[in-house]
Amino acid sequence: MTEFLLEVRCEEIPARMLQPGMRELGTRMFEELMARHLAPRTVKSAFTPRRLVLILEGLADREADREERVVGPPVSAAFDAAGEPTRAAEGFARRCGVEIGELETVRTEKGEYLAATQRTEGRATIELLAELTPRVLAGLGWPKMMRWGAGQGPWVRPVHGIVALFGGKVVEFELFGVAAGNRTSGHAWLSAGEFEVENGADYGRKLARRRVVLRYENRLQRIREQMDKLASAAGGRVVEDEALLDKLACICEIPGVVEGGFDSDYLKLPREVLVTSLRDHQSAFGVEAEGGGLLPVFLTVMDRPDDPEGRVRAGNEWVVAARLDDARFFYREDRKVPLGERAEELRQLTFHARLGSYAEKSQRLVQLGAVLCDSLGRAELKEEVAAAAGLLKMDLTTEMVKEFTSLQGVMGGVYAREEGADDSIWQAIYDQYLPASTEDPIPQGPVGQIVGLADRIDTLVGIFGLGLKPTGSKDPFGLRRAAQGVVRIALEGNLAIDLDLIAAKSVQLYADGLELRGKEILEVWRPFLFDRVRYLLGLEGYAYDEIEAAVAVGGTNLPDVKARVAAIHSVRDEKGFLPIVLSAKRIANILKEGSEESFREEALVESAERDLHQAFQELRKNTERAEAKGDFVACLRHIAGFADVLDRFFVEVLVMDENTELRNNRLALLQSIQRVLSRTAELTRLVVDKGEYRDE
Amino acid sequence: MERLSLQSLIHRLSEFWAAEGCVIQQPYDLEVGAGTMHPDTFLRVLGPEPWRVGYVQPSRRPADARYGENPFRLGKHYQFQVILKPSPDDIQPLYVRSLEAMGIDLSLHDLRFEEDNWEAPTLGAWGLGWQVMLDGMEITQFTYFQQAGGLDLDPISAELTYGLERLAMFLGRTRSVYDVEWVSDGPSYGAVRHQDEVEFSKYYFEVADVEFLRAQFDGNEAESRRCLESGLVLPAYECALKCSQLFNVLDARGAISVTDRVAVIKRIRRLAVDCAAEYVASRERLGYPLLEAFAESADD
Repeated sequence: MTEFLLEVRCEEIPARMLQPGMRELGTRMFEELMARHLAPRTVKSAFTPRRLVLILEGLADREADREERVVGPPVSAAFDAAGEPTRAAEGFARRCGVEIGELETVRTEKGEYLAATQRTEGRATIELLAELTPRVLAGLGWPKMMRWGAGQGPWVRPVHGIVALFGGKVVEFELFGVAAGNRTSGHAWLSAGEFEVENGADYGRKLARRRVVLRYENRLQRIREQMDKLASAAGGRVVEDEALLDKLACICEIPGVVEGGFDSDYLKLPREVLVTSLRDHQSAFGVEAEGGGLLPVFLTVMDRPDDPEGRVRAGNEWVVAARLDDARFFYREDRKVPLGERAEELRQLTFHARLGSYAEKSQRLVQLGAVLCDSLGRAELKEEVAAAAGLLKMDLTTEMVKEFTSLQGVMGGVYAREEGADDSIWQAIYDQYLPASTEDPIPQGPVGQIVGLADRIDTLVGIFGLGLKPTGSKDPFGLRRAAQGVVRIALEGNLAIDLDLIAAKSVQLYADGLELRGKEILEVWRPFLFDRVRYLLGLEGYAYDEIEAAVAVGGTNLPDVKARVAAIHSVRDEKGFLPIVLSAKRIANILKEGSEESFREEALVESAERDLHQAFQELRKNTERAEAKGDFVACLRHIAGFADVLDRFFVEVLVMDENTELRNNRLALLQSIQRVLSRTAELTRLVVDKGEYRDE
Repeated sequence: MERLSLQSLIHRLSEFWAAEGCVIQQPYDLEVGAGTMHPDTFLRVLGPEPWRVGYVQPSRRPADARYGENPFRLGKHYQFQVILKPSPDDIQPLYVRSLEAMGIDLSLHDLRFEEDNWEAPTLGAWGLGWQVMLDGMEITQFTYFQQAGGLDLDPISAELTYGLERLAMFLGRTRSVYDVEWVSDGPSYGAVRHQDEVEFSKYYFEVADVEFLRAQFDGNEAESRRCLESGLVLPAYECALKCSQLFNVLDARGAISVTDRVAVIKRIRRLAVDCAAEYVASRERLGYPLLEAFAESADD
C-alpha cells in the first residue's frame, strides 16, 4: 500500500475559488481511481492561496489484472465442411491475440459462438497517475480561467511547480510546461527557497518548519484565537462575521492577526457604516464592548506571523483612517439633504430601462401598500405604510449607498431614524431587503412586512410583465429571491391575503407600462410563487403530496394553504383516514369522463343510497361549520368519518345501473360528494402506499 | 523605511525596469484615462511581437476631480505602467524586487495579492489578476491581459500599474496627497499641482461646453473612420482616444444619460476594435519588426 503526494504551486488563487476548487480536485481524483478499482484508503487535502495539496494513502501499486471474454463469429461460420478453421475464425483469433486451439465455444440464445478469454495485465499505478493527474488538473472547472506567457493554460492562475510522488518516486508528467518533480518551496518571500520532499509526512514537516500553515481549519482556528485574545485585551469582543473569517483564512499561508486603532471621533458614525467600511475596504473586524457599542479598534489578518516594527499596523491604520474619513464625508454630505427631499434625484435613477425610474416605483409602492393594508383589514397602518413606501428607495441616491451597496435599505433606515421618523417607519426602511438569505429573519413589524411585500410584488409583476423570467442559473433581477421573500413574509408574518389579487392590482398600477396582459402575467407569477411555497413547506418537513393536495384547492392566501397542509399532515396517519382517501380516488375514477348530472332526491331507491344522501347532508353542514372557523383538522375528521357510509353504498349499490335515470342520479350525488370531500384538500393527490392497499 | 519623494520613486522604477530590458517610454501626449490606453500598451499587446515597456502616464479621471479639496481623490493622477510581453515565468518575484528597489523591506511588511479582475468596456479589453496590497493598502494593479480590442491575445502580456501618489503617500505617511514631497525637501505635490486640480474641476463640472464637446466627439469619430479607410491606424487610434476622453468629460459634466451611456460606449468600442484589427494587419505587413529587436536584447 502506497502513498500519492500531489502539490500544485501557483500564483494566488482567488479566495472564493479555493475551497470549491480543492474539493473538485479531490473528488475527481478519487472517482478516476475508483473507476480503476484503485480506491485509496484515505484522502487528505489542504490548500493555501498558492498551493493545492492532495495526499492519497493506501493505494495499490498495480491495477488488478483483468480477464474479459470476447464473443466472435458463430461456430457454423468458423469451420468449413472439412472442419478447417475459416478466415473468420483465424481473423478472430488474431484480433484476440490467441491461437485457434485456445478458442472456446459458448452457447447463446442465437446458437453456438466462438469465444476467447483475453487477459489484460493491470497497469502500474504510477503510470496511471502520470496519465490521469494532469488530465484531472487541467480539467478543473474554475469559474474564471486565464492564459499566461506564450499562451499556457487555461487555468485559474499561472502554475509554477508540481510535486507528484508515488511511494517517494516522481510521477512523471507535465502540465502547462511545468514538469512534476520532488521540489517545492516555502512562503514566496518570507521563507523562500526550494527544497526536496520525500513523502507526505516529510512535506508537511518541512513546510511547518517554514511556518506555512497548510490546513485551512488550522489557519481559521489560529486567526480566531488570536483575534479573541486581542479583542478581550482591548476590553471587548470581535463583531462576528463568519464570511469574513472564512475569506481571511483563504488569503494567507502564515496567518497572523494585526490590531489597529482609529480616532474615537469616528465612533460618531453609525455602527453599520463603521462595520461595513472596515469589512469591505480593509477586510477587518470591528470590536464591540459589553454593551454593544464599538471600540475604536479593528482586527485584520496579515500573511506573516508577526509585525516586528509595527509597519503592518501603521499601514493598516493609515488606510483605515483614510477610509473612515471618506465615510464621514459621505455621511455629512448625505445628512445635508433629508430623504424626503431626494425625489428629484430618484427620478434620475433607473429601476429598469423599460419600467421607468425608482421614483415611479416608489409611487406605485405607496398605492400598493394601501391596497395591502385594506386587504389585511389594517386600515390604521395606511399612513405609516405610505410614509415608509415613499421614503423606501431614497437612500439609493445617497453617497453612502453608492459607496457601500450592501448598506442599501439599512442606510435609509439610519438616516430616517436620525431625521426623527417613527420607529415603525425607519425600521420598515431598514428591514426592506430582509430576508436576503435563508438565515435572515423577515422584517420585524407589520409596516416593514407590508412594504417588503409590495416592493417584491412590484418587481416580480414588472419583470414578468416584460416577458422576462429567470432561466437556468441566470436570474439577473433576483426574482427567485424576491418570490422567496414574498412567500416567507406572507407565511411567517401570517398575512392572510390573496396574493393573486395584490399582483393583479400591481399590474393595474403599471398602467400601460407592461408588455404582457394581466392574465398572462398571473399565469407566470402563480406557478413561480408556488414553486417557492413547495420548497419552503418541504423544508418544514411536509411531504410533497401533502403540499400538492393543499395547493390544488387553496388559493394564494398562503397562511391558509399552510394550515391545510398542516391539517393533512396531522390527520393522514389517523385510523380511518386511509379509507376516505381510497374512496375519493374511486369516486374520481367513476366520474372521470362523466358530464354534470342533475340530482333528484326522490329518485333514490336503495336504502344504502338514501342513507348516504342523509349522511352527506350532515357532512356538508359540519364541514361548512368547521371551515368557517378555519379548523381544517376538524373538517378532515368529519370527512374521514364519512368513509363507512360511502363504503356501504359502494358494496350495496351499483352506480352504473342499466337504468339511465338511476345511474345519472347516482352520478349526480357522487359529484356533490366529491366537491365536499375535496374542500380542505384534494385527497386524490395523496399518495397511498401499495402495501396499505393490500391490507384493505 | 526610506522616505522617497515622488520623483525619486519614478527614477527608481524607471531604473529597475530599464535593467529588466524595458523600453523606458514617455507619457502619451494626449489626455487619457489610464496608462493602458497609451498605444504602447493597448496596441503593443496585440499580435505575436514581444514587448517590454515602462512609462509614467498622467491619467485623467474627470469624475474623480474634487476641486483640490479631497486629500485622496484627484482628477488627474500618475501611474507607472509596465508591460511585459510575453509575461515571464518569474514575474511575481520580479515585481517583489521592484518593491525592494523602492526601499520596501518585505521582511517587515505584509504583501498580499487579492483577486481583482479588470475590464475596459470602451476598449473591448479584459484581464484577470489582483490588486496588490501592502500593509492593507492597494499599491499596484497586476493584470494578465486576455483580450484587447475584442481580440484574444497570444502571447499574453502582464501589466503592472503602480499608483504613484498612493505609493508616495504611503511611503511618506502623509495624510493628504498635496503634502507628498515631489522633490525631497523641495516643492510639494500641492505646490506643483493644486491649481491644476482646482481649475480642471471647475472646467469639468461647471464650464465645459457640452455642445462643443459633442461636436468634437462626432468629429473625432468621423476622422478616426477616415484614417482607418486610409490604413492609418495610429492617427485613427488617437482620434478614438480623444473620443474616449471627451466621453469622460461629458459624463462628469452630467451630459450623458443612462440610456445614452451604453450607446456612446459602444461607439468608442467599435473604433477601438477596428483600430486593433487594423494594427494587427499593419504589423503583419511590416513583417513584425519587434520579433527581431527583442530577440537581440534578450541575448545581451
